[in-house]
Amino acid sequence: MENRLTNEMMENPFAQEPKASSSWYWQIFTGIALIFLLGLHFIANHFIAQGGIRDYADVVSYLRNPIILVWEVLFLIVVATHAMLGIRAIVMDFGISAQAEKRLSQALTVVGVLTVAYGLWLTWAIIH
Amino acid sequence: MATLEQPKVRRAGRWFDVRHRKIGMWAYALNRITGIGLVVYLYLHLVVLSTLSRGPGSWDAFISLARQPYFLILDVILLAGILIHGLNGIRIALTSFDVGVKRQKALFSGLMLVALVALSAAALKIFGG
Repeated sequence: MENRLTNEMMENPFAQEPKASSSWYWQIFTGIALIFLLGLHFIANHFIAQGGIRDYADVVSYLRNPIILVWEVLFLIVVATHAMLGIRAIVMDFGISAQAEKRLSQALTVVGVLTVAYGLWLTWAIIH
Repeated sequence: MATLEQPKVRRAGRWFDVRHRKIGMWAYALNRITGIGLVVYLYLHLVVLSTLSRGPGSWDAFISLARQPYFLILDVILLAGILIHGLNGIRIALTSFDVGVKRQKALFSGLMLVALVALSAAALKIFGG
């Protein structure tokens, strides 16, 4: 535990108190998941695809594959979470008050949910 | 170094200035710069994908733009950001669970070497067709 806290201080020299937060672990967890989620997304859409990008008909048939659909939706949710947590960590470095932190988290939750909702709508619109 | 006497905004922004800093600070700054860049890219990507909802015409117009050589340079920059952020992230994940903490400088250098090799290979494929 002591080692980990020292390490967190090394990663973030502006951390005011050494505490292992749950958002830090979520950041790590979603980050590890993204290696696989983004990895397949990128390879499937930009390396396997002819000419590095799919044409319209190809995008539609790609997303109509249920396994791909689940994978891409999972990628959307995890990447939005990872991005919001990352923004939160950067803003937190400014040493904001507990109340501001709460509002920040609420605002980022809204942005994250809207991002995922937009992605889901877009996916639905493409498939239908 | 940042001190508590400095104004909050300047103090919090100091991570960006990596001059005279050690390798750990470079890793930290690189991770943040690429992270911010990738968030910006994520939203650009989602906006571009909205053309898919308008049917084949607008999407195919984007495809011909995306295949221009200058656009491919952007792809290489994006890949650089993904590789640096992702591989450096592996180091952060490992050290968060107390793995390789004492060797993280070597780990960072090694991972960045992997990023460089992978980026070169990808750039060759992107421009080589």
